Amino acid sequence: MVVLARAALLCVAGTVLGIAGNRFTPRPAPLGAPVAASAEQPGAACENPGASVDHISVEEAKPLCLACTAAFIDARSAPEYAAGHVTGALHLPPEGPFEPLLPALRKAPAVIVYDRDRACSAANQVAARLQAYGLRDVRVLTGAWPEWLARGGPGESGACRLCAGDRP
Amino acid sequence: MTRLVLTAIRVALGALFLWAAATKLPDLAGFAQDVANYRVLPPILVPYAAAAVVGIEILSGLALVTGAAAKPAALLVAALLVAFIVFLAQALLRGIDLRCGCFGGDEPASWWTVARDLAMLAAAVVVARGSPQQQQGGRTLAT
Repeated sequence: MVVLARAALLCVAGTVLGIAGNRFTPRPAPLGAPVAASAEQPGAACENPGASVDHISVEEAKPLCLACTAAFIDARSAPEYAAGHVTGALHLPPEGPFEPLLPALRKAPAVIVYDRDRACSAANQVAARLQAYGLRDVRVLTGAWPEWLARGGPGESGACRLCAGDRP
Repeated sequence: MTRLVLTAIRVALGALFLWAAATKLPDLAGFAQDVANYRVLPPILVPYAAAAVVGIEILSGLALVTGAAAKPAALLVAALLVAFIVFLAQALLRGIDLRCGCFGGDEPASWWTVARDLAMLAAAVVVARGSPQQQQGGRTLAT
């Protein structure tokens, strides 16, 4: 019981330390203000300060798909990809495999990666790996698949001929 | 288990928690966002929880590294890790795509992250079971 009481005391002391010390940190947590999930914040979609990959909006990306001047990468799971994806998009989750798709991707002037969630964690990871493979113009789609759908981006049966047939 | 191995595990676990706190301190607002992305806590509680987690990581990390109150700190760390594992697992099972917020940076949450937390939980349990109780005055009992 003594150990449990000390653990509880340590927990309370840590909580007090964290909350009291918050204001002295460079970017304090906004105590008193609600913090919602990224996906629920309009305009804050895909804002990931830890990511080193450029982003592209749906409005900018749509013409690139229609004109076949960009390859699209779907970083979601296989069932999600099968259920619906950007026209001509290739399926490439963070775990790969990357190598079979590289020849096709190297022919594309630009590569645009998206995933299921506006936090874009999986897309950022895939994009970073593609950059590591030497692909230069790799960008992450702001707002991800939900934003693409909401803004009427072309779906699976579109005419993105550059991407169509590239799947191994 | 020898006293030396137990001490090494305790110090390593404490150092890991201190490191985890150090990576979050420069951007607590960003860590609060990571916590919110798990979609478990009410948004109004998220910033308090984020700040509290970092404070607990600092105190328990210090306690483990120095050996003062090692057993209570190991129990607290174990409880924290159980919470982390539950948060991660529910997010992964719900298909939420997010970065884990574990050690700063952009590491995505994955089952690998859960496995890593389970390994740390095992280490915390070992320390909690193996560490001697403290006597009054801070001295430890011989085992």
